[in-house]
Amino acid sequence: MNEMMLLLPILIPVAGALLVLLAGRSSHSARFGLTVLAAAATLAVAVLLFPQANNATGITFSHAWASPMFSFELRLYSLSAWILVAAAAFALLVTLYSWHYMAGRPHGMLFCLYLLLTLAMVCGAMLANHLVVLLFFWEGLLLTMLGMIAIGRPGAWKTAFKAFVIVGISDLCMTGGIVITGLLAHTLRISDIDHLATTGLGGLGMALLIIGATAKAGSMPFHSWIPDAATDAPLPFMALLPASIEKLVGIYFLARISLDMYQMSRESWLSMMMMVVGAVTIILAVAMALVQKNYKRLLSYHAISQVGYMILGVGTGLPAGIVGGLFHMVNNALYKSCLFMTGGAVEKQTGTSDLNELGGLGSKMPLTFLCFIVAAASISGFPLTNGFYSKELLYAGALDRGLIFYLAAVVGTFLTSASFLKLGHAAFLGKRNSRHDAVREVPFSMLLPMVLIAAVCLLFGPGNALAVDHLIRPSLSAAAAGEHHLGGLLPHNWLLAELAAGAVLLAILNHLAGWRRYGSGLHAVDHIHHAPVLSFMYDSAAKGWFDPYIIGRHIVRVVAWIGWGMDRVVDWFSDGFWVRTAQFGGWALATAHRGRYALYVLWCLAGAAAVIGFLIRAM
Amino acid sequence: MLDWLILVPLAAIILLNLPWSDFIRRRAAVLAALLAAAQAAMVVAAPSEWVSRASILAQTLHLHLAMTGLSRVMLLCIGLAMMAAACVTQVMFSDDFRRRANFVSLLLVSLLGMNGAVLVTDLFSLYVFIEVTSISSFVLIAFTLEKKSLEGAIKYLILSAVATVLMLGSLALLLLMAGTMDFAGIKEALASSNGALVAKLAIGGFVCGLLIKGGLVPFHGWVLGAYSASPAPASVLLAGIVTKVCGIYAMIRLATSVFPPNAAVNQVLMLLGAVSIVVGAVLALRQTDMKRLLAYSSISQVGYIVLGLGCGTPLAWAGAIFHLFNHTVFKSLLFVNSAAVERRTGTTDMSRLGQLGSAMPLTNLTSVLAALSTAGIPPLAGFWSKLLIILALWQAGVKQGQAMYFVYAAVAVLFSVVTLGYLLSLQRKVFFGKTPENLELLGAAKPSGWISTPELILAAVTLAAGLLAPLLLLTGSFLVPTGSF
Repeated sequence: MNEMMLLLPILIPVAGALLVLLAGRSSHSARFGLTVLAAAATLAVAVLLFPQANNATGITFSHAWASPMFSFELRLYSLSAWILVAAAAFALLVTLYSWHYMAGRPHGMLFCLYLLLTLAMVCGAMLANHLVVLLFFWEGLLLTMLGMIAIGRPGAWKTAFKAFVIVGISDLCMTGGIVITGLLAHTLRISDIDHLATTGLGGLGMALLIIGATAKAGSMPFHSWIPDAATDAPLPFMALLPASIEKLVGIYFLARISLDMYQMSRESWLSMMMMVVGAVTIILAVAMALVQKNYKRLLSYHAISQVGYMILGVGTGLPAGIVGGLFHMVNNALYKSCLFMTGGAVEKQTGTSDLNELGGLGSKMPLTFLCFIVAAASISGFPLTNGFYSKELLYAGALDRGLIFYLAAVVGTFLTSASFLKLGHAAFLGKRNSRHDAVREVPFSMLLPMVLIAAVCLLFGPGNALAVDHLIRPSLSAAAAGEHHLGGLLPHNWLLAELAAGAVLLAILNHLAGWRRYGSGLHAVDHIHHAPVLSFMYDSAAKGWFDPYIIGRHIVRVVAWIGWGMDRVVDWFSDGFWVRTAQFGGWALATAHRGRYALYVLWCLAGAAAVIGFLIRAM
Repeated sequence: MLDWLILVPLAAIILLNLPWSDFIRRRAAVLAALLAAAQAAMVVAAPSEWVSRASILAQTLHLHLAMTGLSRVMLLCIGLAMMAAACVTQVMFSDDFRRRANFVSLLLVSLLGMNGAVLVTDLFSLYVFIEVTSISSFVLIAFTLEKKSLEGAIKYLILSAVATVLMLGSLALLLLMAGTMDFAGIKEALASSNGALVAKLAIGGFVCGLLIKGGLVPFHGWVLGAYSASPAPASVLLAGIVTKVCGIYAMIRLATSVFPPNAAVNQVLMLLGAVSIVVGAVLALRQTDMKRLLAYSSISQVGYIVLGLGCGTPLAWAGAIFHLFNHTVFKSLLFVNSAAVERRTGTTDMSRLGQLGSAMPLTNLTSVLAALSTAGIPPLAGFWSKLLIILALWQAGVKQGQAMYFVYAAVAVLFSVVTLGYLLSLQRKVFFGKTPENLELLGAAKPSGWISTPELILAAVTLAAGLLAPLLLLTGSFLVPTGSF
C-alpha cells in the first residue's frame, strides 16, 4: 500500500488540475479553493510519507509497463523525502498567496492549472528512480514554465519563448548526459547507477547532466531568462519556480549526480568546473543585482547569484560544502520566495515595482516590511540568521579548496548586503511618493505565507542544527555528510564568522557613505555603478552583450547569413546555370525540329545505320 | 477463347459497316467503349480459362495465339486506352453519327490489330498485326482532312515505310536462317548462328524498325505531328497505347522470348532510352501547345521504358512493364484532359488558356494526379515504376561495376524533376493562373459524362495502382512481373 502511495503526490495535483479545467469559468474563490485543497492534500501525503521513507533504502514503486529499459519506477528515500515536503509546502504557501494576488488578473484558471501541473511534475521529478521517467517530468516542468510565463503581462510570450529555448537547450544537454550515463551504467535505474568513473566519456556524461541540473536551478550561463521573467511573468510564478522549487529540484539532482551516480573526486576537472561556474555566477549576478532599479528584477538577479553558492558548495566535494550547499538551498528557497512575496505585496498595493516611484512604505505596510527585513538579513548573511550559518559552512568548504573561491563568496556577500540595503531603503524608507499615501497593508491570505516563511528563516538561524544535523546530514552518505556535527549556535571557525560579519558591516558602512554622498537610498551604490571600468561593463550588460541568448541569436543570424549565401550559389546553379543550359538545348533542338520530312528520314536512316553498324561490331 | 479478342472486334467492324445498321452506327462509340471495357475487365478477372479452349484461328489459319503475363498487361492497357478513346469520340463527333461510326470502325481495326499483335506467337503475324494497327493509325490521324492532320499522317506514313523496309528485310533474312517464323524456332536458329553477319543484320534491322515505331530519338520525327495534329480520340489512342504495342511491346517480346541475351542490343537500348528521356523532356519544356507538350513528354516517358528494358535484369523488366502500364494510364488521361480543354475552349494553345480549374474542377484534379504520377511523385503509380527502373540500374551498376549504369540512373532521377517542371507549368498555365482576356469558354459545351467517366476511371486506376503497388510487388502480380515472363 505504501508503494502505491508514492503515486499520490503526482496524481493529486493532476486530478486537481483536471478539476480546475472541468470547473471552467467558475468563480475565482472556487478555483483557488480547489487549488489550495489539492496543494494541501499533496503536502499532507508528503508529510505522511516522510517518516516511512526517511532512511537510505526508502520505498520503491515499480510498474513494468514497457520493456525493462523503460519501467516506470518511483522511489522515495531520505534525501528526496524532506525535499518533497519542502516543495509541497512552498507550493501550498504560494497558492495561498496567489489567491488574493491573482484576484482581478486575467488567466486565473490557466494559472491554477499550470501551478498544479508544476507541482505534479516536481513531485514526479523528485520521486523518479529512472532517468527516462525523470526526463519526462523534467520536460513537463519546462512546458508548465512556458505556460506560466506566457500568461503574464501582454507580450510575455517573447520571454516565455526565450526561457523555453534556453532551458530547452540545457535539457537537450541533459538528455545527452542521460544517454551516455545509460550506456556506461547499462541501466537507467537511478538507484543502480553507482559512482561511475568520471574519466573520458563518463566525464562528458556527468558534465552534460550537471548542465541540465544547474540550468534548471538557474545558474549562469543559462540564467538570462530569469530577469526578463521577473518583470513579465505573474509574480507568484517567480516565488514558486525560480525562487524555490527550481532550486530544490535542480540542486537535488545535482547532489544525486555528484554524490551517487558519479564518482566525483576533488581532483577532477568537473569539481573545478562546478566551483568556477558557481563563483562566477555569484559575482556576476550579484553585481547586476546591485544596479537594478526594479524591485522584482533586482530579486531575480539574486535568485541567480544564490545558485552560485550552492553549486560552489556541492562542487567542493567536501562535507562542509555539500551540506552547506544543501542547507543554503533550503534557506534560499525560504528567504527568496519570501522576498518575492514582499515584492508582490508592494506591487499589489501600489501598482508598481519601480524603485524610483516607491519609498516610505514601511509605516504603511509594517508586517510586510518586517518580513522583508528578516528575509533580507538572511540572504545577506547577517549573524544569527539562517543565511549566516549556511554561508559559514560554504566559506569553510570554499577556503579549503582555494582562496579565490572563498574571496568570491565573501565579495558576493558584501554586494548582496549592499543591494538589499539599497532595496529596503528605496522601497520602505525614505520619502513616500504622495500617490501612495492611501496604501494599506496586504490582506491576511497574503501575509500568512510571508510571515510563516520568515518565521522558519528565524528558526533555522539559531536552530540550524535542526536542519543540518537532523535532516540534511542523515540523508547523505557518510562520505558526503562528514563525521562531525556541522550545526550549532556557535560558529565552528570564529575567524571565518568574524570576516563574514565584517563583510556585512562593510556593506552597511558603504551604504551609509553612499547615502550621505547622494542623499538617496536608491542611489547609495551609484559609486560602484559608475566606477571607471565597471560602468562600461554595466552599460554593455544593459545592451545585452553578455546575454547568451542574444549572443546565440547573433550567431544564428551569422549562420543563417552564410546559409543564405550558400543558397544563392545553389540557386545560381539551379535557377541560372541549368535553366540557361536547358534553354539553349531546347532552342537548339527546336531549331532542328522544323517539320522537314527529309531531315527526319535522314535521321532515321543515319540512326539505323549507326545501330546496325554498332551491333555488327559489338555482337 | 483468345480468338474472341480478334474475332469480336472484327465482327463489330463488319456490323458497323453493314448497309442497314444505322441503329448500331448511332451507338458505335458506346459499343466500342463497352467492348474495350469488357476486355479490360475480363483480362483482370479470369484469363487462365481462355487458353485451354480449342482455337478456331489455329485450326483454320494456323494462327497460334498464346497468352503470357506480358500479353495480359498489354490487353489491359489496350482495353483502358481504347475505352477512353471511344468515350472521347462520342463527344468529339457529336453532330454526325455516320462520321463517328467511320471513326469508330477505324478504332476497332486498331483494337483488332493490337490484340492480335500481343497474342501471336510468330514473328510474321506480329509484323502483320503491327502494320494493321499502323495503317488504321494513318487514317485516324488524317481523319479530319485538315492540312496539319494530313501532314502529320504523311510523316508517320513515310517513316513507317522506312520501318517496314527494315522489318520486312530482316524477316526475310530470319526466314532464310531459321526456315520458320515461330518465336521458339527463331530463338533456336539465332542461338546456333554463332554470330553470323546475317543474324546480326536481321536483329539490327528489326530492332531499328521497332525503334521507329516506338518513336525513340533519333527515330522520333513523326511523333509530334501524329500526336498533336490528330483528332483528340486518336491522340489518346496513339499516345496511350498504339506506339507502345507496335514498338515497345514487340521489343520486350523479342528481348525476352526471341533474341538470346545480348549485351550489345541492351547497350543500344539504354543509350537511346536515356537520349530520348533527355531530348523529349528538354523539348517539352519549350512547348506552348498542350498537345505538343504531351507528345514530347511521351517520347521522354517511352525513354524510361526502353532504359529499363535495356538494363536487362528481371527487376528492370518488371519496372519497364509496370511503367508501360502506368504510361498508358496517365498519358491517356492527360490527352483526355487536353480533349476536354479543347472541347470547352476550342484551343490547346497554352498562351491563350488560364484559370480553367474553377470551370473544370474534375479535369483539373485528374490532370494534377496524372502529372504527379508522370513525374514520379509518391504514392502515385509512376513513382513505383520509376523507382524499380532506377533501383535496377543501380543494382546492375554495382554488380557489373560499370559507371554508365549510374549515369543512366542519375539521368532518370534528374529528368523526373524536369518532367515535374514542364507538367506543373502546363498545370499552371491551363488550370491555374489568370484568365486571358481573349479566352471565351464555349457555353454550349457543357461538361459531359463521356469525358468525365474516362477521366475518373483512369485517375482511379493510377491512384489505386500507386497505393497498391507494394502489394502488387509482393504478390508478384502480372502488372509487376518480378518473377518470370
